[in-house]
Amino acid sequence: MTTPNGTAALVAEDIHKHFGSLEVLKGISLTAEREDVISIIGASGSGKSTFLRCINFLETPDAGRIVVGGEEIRIKQNRLGQPMIGDHGQLSRIRSKLGMVFQSFNLWSHMTVLQNVMEGPLTVLRHPKQEVHDRAVDLLEKVGIAEKRHGYPVELSGGQQQRVAIARALCMQPQVLLFDEPTSALDPELVGEVLKVMRDLAAEGRTMIVVTHEMGFAREVSSRVLFLADGRVEEENSPAELFGNPQSERCRRFLASAL
Amino acid sequence: MDFEFLARIIPQIAAGLPTTLLLVAQSLALGFVLAVLVALMRLSANSLASGFAYGFVYVFRSTPLLVQIFLIYYGSGQFRPFLEDVGLWVFFRDAWFCAVLALTFNTAAYTSEIIRGGIQSVPRGEIEAGRAVGMSALQLFRRVTFPIAIRQALPAYGNEVILMVKASSLASTITILEITGIAKTIIASTFRPVEVFIVAGALYLAINFCVTQAIRLAERRLAARSSVSGKKPVRRSEQIAVAR
Repeated sequence: MTTPNGTAALVAEDIHKHFGSLEVLKGISLTAEREDVISIIGASGSGKSTFLRCINFLETPDAGRIVVGGEEIRIKQNRLGQPMIGDHGQLSRIRSKLGMVFQSFNLWSHMTVLQNVMEGPLTVLRHPKQEVHDRAVDLLEKVGIAEKRHGYPVELSGGQQQRVAIARALCMQPQVLLFDEPTSALDPELVGEVLKVMRDLAAEGRTMIVVTHEMGFAREVSSRVLFLADGRVEEENSPAELFGNPQSERCRRFLASAL
Repeated sequence: MDFEFLARIIPQIAAGLPTTLLLVAQSLALGFVLAVLVALMRLSANSLASGFAYGFVYVFRSTPLLVQIFLIYYGSGQFRPFLEDVGLWVFFRDAWFCAVLALTFNTAAYTSEIIRGGIQSVPRGEIEAGRAVGMSALQLFRRVTFPIAIRQALPAYGNEVILMVKASSLASTITILEITGIAKTIIASTFRPVEVFIVAGALYLAINFCVTQAIRLAERRLAARSSVSGKKPVRRSEQIAVAR
């Protein structure tokens, strides 16, 4: 699993995070090579989402390193010795390379579907408007929602909103896509349409980190699966091995209850 | 009721309409800019800034506008030597400047709280989406936080505009000849307050009718589709339009 130039798309190294006295992450590491699809599974409260949010610094990790395409996110310490964002300009640039899809979609409610998809490339990347428009329409077509592009998020179903959110992330032309339980807030009958889009993206060779409760997706689409428990990586393996022959007792129990 | 007299004073009092509108427009424009700054200071992590903003809002919301106008207009005379030294006397000796200043501070205090509430009501997830896409703090405010906050704040702000139109009548106490000022001069020479105040009141009613319609239109255009206010906008401005 080495890439030609030897640079991993994403490296997270020994990430720690606590909220108050609760230690949520106790040293999690992950390396994603280009075209990897890594699923992160585990019970609620195991730290999956927090870990994903540490990757793009929506939560600032207490300790550890995040390296995106060979560039490490800079951290500085405040007077109390707590880690802080070291360089906002650099972080913005790196964030723009990490597309993120949230559990609750988080589309901008005051913008149309098309404006949502175009916003990042126009405001952050300052790409030319016509180019962004064409790209946005193409992506909306790809996720099957182009005919609603002049509507507002509130007029769409959850599945449609999540597909728009995926198009919004893709329009930034990111190097890595982060999915934070993208189907957990959806009605059961809407899960399939979102998973289908994600399967297509994996098939295209996108690098994806997916926090999910969808075991079928994790098993069939991922190149690797991480099982998290109590803020640690309890088990990491190929999906065939992890699902077919789980090593730890906890992983076995989790899979038995989840499948 | 003397209708001939009524017909004669209508154009006289209506002549004050542009003055009232200008006074309100200037104060609202300056006050809004100041309000955004005060709201941001109030929300900032810097305790000095938020403390100052809190004090500003507290003082101007808790004292009568009339007292503020008197203090600025008559009170500044006490400090005339100092104001002359720093070159500000030319402003403070001018009643128009003092009226605009008092109204600006007053509306800024109220509006900053309205804006602060709007900013605080912006869904966290939409802000996170902006951060995740790589927006700077300024871009995030300009493109996400502020536009959503304004849509939230619009009904309450419409109410504030209506209150300001009415509050501008207090400028008449420091020689400004707007609607109420002209009305008072006519009363002084005719001793017929009923007809005169009916005309003045009707003019304020007309202005605020237009304001209400404008706000309603803006609400429909801006807020109707945002998820926070839902598909059917509630016109809160109509429910709470009472005198300050």
